[in-house]
Amino acid sequence: MTEKELIGKIRELRQIRPRKDWVLLTKTQILGGVEVRPQPFLFPFFRPAYAGLFVVLILIGLFEFSQSALPGEPLYLLKRVVERSQAVFVSESEKPKLNLELANRRLDELNQVAQNNEVKKLAPAINEFQANAAIAAKNLAKVKKVDKEIVAQIKKLEENKEKVEKVLATKIEMEEYDNDLAKLVENQIKDLETRTLSEDQQKLLEEAKADFEAGNYSDALIKILDLSQK
Amino acid sequence: MANLRKIFSKIYDRYIGKIYRFIFFKVNSQEIAEDLTSETFLRTWESFKNENQEIENIQAFLYQTARNLVIDYYREKGKVQLISADYHSPIIDPRQNLEEKAMLRSDLNTIRMALAELKEDYQNIIIWHYLDDLPISEVAKLLGRTEEATRVLLHRALNALKNEIEKA
Repeated sequence: MTEKELIGKIRELRQIRPRKDWVLLTKTQILGGVEVRPQPFLFPFFRPAYAGLFVVLILIGLFEFSQSALPGEPLYLLKRVVERSQAVFVSESEKPKLNLELANRRLDELNQVAQNNEVKKLAPAINEFQANAAIAAKNLAKVKKVDKEIVAQIKKLEENKEKVEKVLATKIEMEEYDNDLAKLVENQIKDLETRTLSEDQQKLLEEAKADFEAGNYSDALIKILDLSQK
Repeated sequence: MANLRKIFSKIYDRYIGKIYRFIFFKVNSQEIAEDLTSETFLRTWESFKNENQEIENIQAFLYQTARNLVIDYYREKGKVQLISADYHSPIIDPRQNLEEKAMLRSDLNTIRMALAELKEDYQNIIIWHYLDDLPISEVAKLLGRTEEATRVLLHRALNALKNEIEKA
């Protein structure tokens, strides 16, 4: 046997190895029974690195879930907070539209509560609607030029209110809103009276005045809008 | 402490096979080799976690502890270093040919028995350099010799092993 062959044979003795189970057991015994071999995570969210992501996912889930919450429910507060935070990023000129839209949402909720006969939620739903209608009214007073979307929201609000009143068999008071809407229509009519109008426009203005006198403010606004577009 | 455990866990994984084999060649018993190897690591862990005791070279520390334990084992138990021809080693061989396998096993057993017959320094230098792949400089440190003296010792150890194999 040459030296090279002998060295080759010596190296084959590397096949002598300790038993795998003994190696693991001894390691556990020496290191105080602590599991030192990293185990695959069954729940990766428990890793600190994923904690942030986990929290974000929980918040997204809560946010989504809260969007269908009704007044008087625990998640309703979150829904309102989200709406308020959205309002922060809206420009002053867009606020009347947004507040009208929110008032309409409150009416939808009230309608849902009324339809489902959820008596306990009725009072908070009416309060929420009236509070939103008051905010919408304040913003209506700031409107200088009526546009299509504002008129659509006002019309929708009136229709929704009628539906709810039918279900509840009672009238929902929103005096503040009505007053501010009347002021808006009045201001628009006054403004138009100072302008030179064509025959058609003059005719529409007269019709709008008649609606205003009859208390049909949304109809008056529609005519004012038509008039300004001619 | 958790960090120390983590570090020692890596040391354990790296050296367990080498220390087991080192001891096994000297005691020729799986059971005794396992006992002495776990004792080696237990003692090293005790020293490792002791703040007052700094280990400069963990490899040298492990081999020295293993050597001391083997010496103690023979001294205290009054055992004689015997090699049993019937001993079934846990050698794993991937070859399928039975005749070839038998020849190989016989070859390896001959070398293993011859290695066990060598004096301690010869045994250690062959194990460290050819089995554990330690460079001459590392082996020299473990033996406390110069590199030149270690090369000479390695040459003599191989010749001694060859003679033992021829005798068998």
